[in-house]
Amino acid sequence: MAAIRVEGLRKSYGSVEAVSGMEFTVERGELYGFLGPNGAGKTTTIRTLTGQIRPDAGTVGVLETDPTTEPIETRRRVGILPEQGSPPSFLTPREYLEFVGEVRDLRPERVADQTAAWAERLGFESKLDTLHTDLSRGQQQKVMIAQAFVHEPDVVFIDEPLANLDPLVQEQVKRFLVSYAAGDNAVFVSTHNIDVAEDICTRVGIVADGQLVTERTITDGDAGDESLLELFLDRVNGADARDVPTLERMDGPNA
Amino acid sequence: MSGTETGTGTGTEPAARGGSNHASSGLSFRRLLAILFREEWRMHTQLFGGWRFALFPFVIALLTVGATVALVETGTAPGTIVSGLHVLALAFGLYSGTAGFAGSDMLENVFGRLSLLLSSSTTLPLSRRRLLGAFLLKDALFYGVAFVLPMALGSAALDGLSAATPLDVGLFWLSLFLVFAVGMAVTVALIAVRTRGAPTWAIGVAIGLAVLGGWAMGGLSFVQSVLVPMRGSAITAGGLAVGTLIVATGSLAMYDPTYGRPSRTATDRFARLSDVLPIDDAPLVTKTLLDLARSSGGVWKPFVSASILLALVATLVGVVDSITGIAPAPGIFFGGVLGLSAFTTYNWLTQFDSLEDYLTYPVSIADVFRAKRIAFVLVGAPTVAVPYLAAVIWFDATLVDAAVGAVLLAGYALYYYGLTVYIAGFDPNEFLFDAVRFMTFTVGVAVALVPTLVAGFVVVPPSLELAAVLGIGGLVLGIVGVVLSSRAGPRWDARYRAK
Repeated sequence: MAAIRVEGLRKSYGSVEAVSGMEFTVERGELYGFLGPNGAGKTTTIRTLTGQIRPDAGTVGVLETDPTTEPIETRRRVGILPEQGSPPSFLTPREYLEFVGEVRDLRPERVADQTAAWAERLGFESKLDTLHTDLSRGQQQKVMIAQAFVHEPDVVFIDEPLANLDPLVQEQVKRFLVSYAAGDNAVFVSTHNIDVAEDICTRVGIVADGQLVTERTITDGDAGDESLLELFLDRVNGADARDVPTLERMDGPNA
Repeated sequence: MSGTETGTGTGTEPAARGGSNHASSGLSFRRLLAILFREEWRMHTQLFGGWRFALFPFVIALLTVGATVALVETGTAPGTIVSGLHVLALAFGLYSGTAGFAGSDMLENVFGRLSLLLSSSTTLPLSRRRLLGAFLLKDALFYGVAFVLPMALGSAALDGLSAATPLDVGLFWLSLFLVFAVGMAVTVALIAVRTRGAPTWAIGVAIGLAVLGGWAMGGLSFVQSVLVPMRGSAITAGGLAVGTLIVATGSLAMYDPTYGRPSRTATDRFARLSDVLPIDDAPLVTKTLLDLARSSGGVWKPFVSASILLALVATLVGVVDSITGIAPAPGIFFGGVLGLSAFTTYNWLTQFDSLEDYLTYPVSIADVFRAKRIAFVLVGAPTVAVPYLAAVIWFDATLVDAAVGAVLLAGYALYYYGLTVYIAGFDPNEFLFDAVRFMTFTVGVAVALVPTLVAGFVVVPPSLELAAVLGIGGLVLGIVGVVLSSRAGPRWDARYRAK
């Protein structure tokens, strides 16, 4: 059975249809890239798959759970790295990971081990006792990555995984995500970054206007004859997308 | 504020737009003020769907006029009502005054997040000091017209309608507005001294000395002559206006826009604190408590809010006593009123997180609300107990009065809490500007508080029968509060997930 299953998903916010008939599946062992422009419905899809909001229509399934009717069970079994902000506020990273461990019913010893391992892996050992609110955004993102994996979930949902990270850590995280998915887990990555998707994903779904418009399987970083960028531009807005104005210096009289 | 201050940026060629008062940023102070006004209006109308916010001044006018008529009809002296309205205006100014204790955390968390303009000094060649000055001036004018002006209509209800009514209302508004501005100036002063590294204890000592100074200069009558400008002389009112202006301007000059708190570290207290709490929601409660304790102002914030409420109400009781010779039963009176601090306490407990933050964990919205209720009891109980004990000792309450007041305090605090959570969910601050929710909350509070205050004034000291009735009332309302707060979880869960 698929690790993630979406069938005929629809969700509207008032008169705005954010997701309109989304369909796809993700298997274990896949690192699935969810690629699309702003407002394409990516975050709404993730929020539905993690039981944060109810769909208007359609069915979703994650690891044999139904996020719509059993959101807590779904969130117990998955890891989530949200796109927005920095939730832990005035806890230190060490305390925050203890908090996550308690909420997820993990043994304290296991949390301590995981905390040490993640702090070393992402290089925030020296910040373990600094208030989260006083960390740089990059350091906060590292802590949030750690919390998504601290319970070693079978499925992880990640919204923009590399935001605010320096190039060195970006490479580390990318390598980790690839190896994590290869260990019979499913990693679902929502991103705007086509290079990242092309670099690490095993399969990419391109979304536009609330629908999955195409999928592409990527083998060893090879996206086929047409680059992922070309495919994205073609499928998101058709030929018009190639005519987007370039950001050149404007030296005209009205500049 | 002249608007001629040099910006912190490079001050490139100004694009002359609107107004003659140009600063090096290229944006005149008048233009900046206009943009801030537009942003303020749009923020509120976006948050509450337009008409619900536009109705708010009318709700305030209705409440003020209605309450004034009711108080006059029940024999309350006009002087008492005038003082009460000034106390409310001062409290409104001081409401954001408690933000001074929260310093940069509150300023950035609340203003910085909501106001694009206020945070734009980091990316545009705009002086943050000048921007903050414009922001506060905008706030003073905006709320002075939208909130304080409707309060001034109470004057028409007091004096009746005549040809002089517009002038009377205008003068009353000036008096209320001046007191409101005093509260705001205190806010700016507190934030400014915080940015200069003044410790919290020093600020506390300064406030204590100011109170003692006021007391030494004549106590209540002095406070009354200063804080009810329309009663004092024109010289006193003028002096207060000039003093407020000096404090506000001086504070802005003192404000350090480059202030940045050094990185703070903390020893691991989470596991220990969570282990102490024998409940399922221990981690959620612990997180809330640590967030409160470690944000600027610490666990003292709710206590300061409750103490401000105590001071304002105690002043009002003194004014009423001095004018009418009637003093209420202190236990019943303060028990009923201090319960209102449930609102500010809950506000502090939800200041540093949002419901969305919790939805990445395997917890329900109902779990989060339950944890907030437990945190509220843990923080709220001592927060109101100390001011209440001070009040009953200071005003010499009888044993029966003090006991029934304690029951009322506990029951009403739970009731006000339940009412707030049920109506406002996780955003108690926002419903202050939503006419429908605010009206619902006000009616809910009035249903409990008005009869209690009347009883507190009429039967002094309270008889055993009255004490029993009020005690049962307090218990019943406490249960209603628990039921309301229990239902808030499913109610907001359904709303949030259907979004």
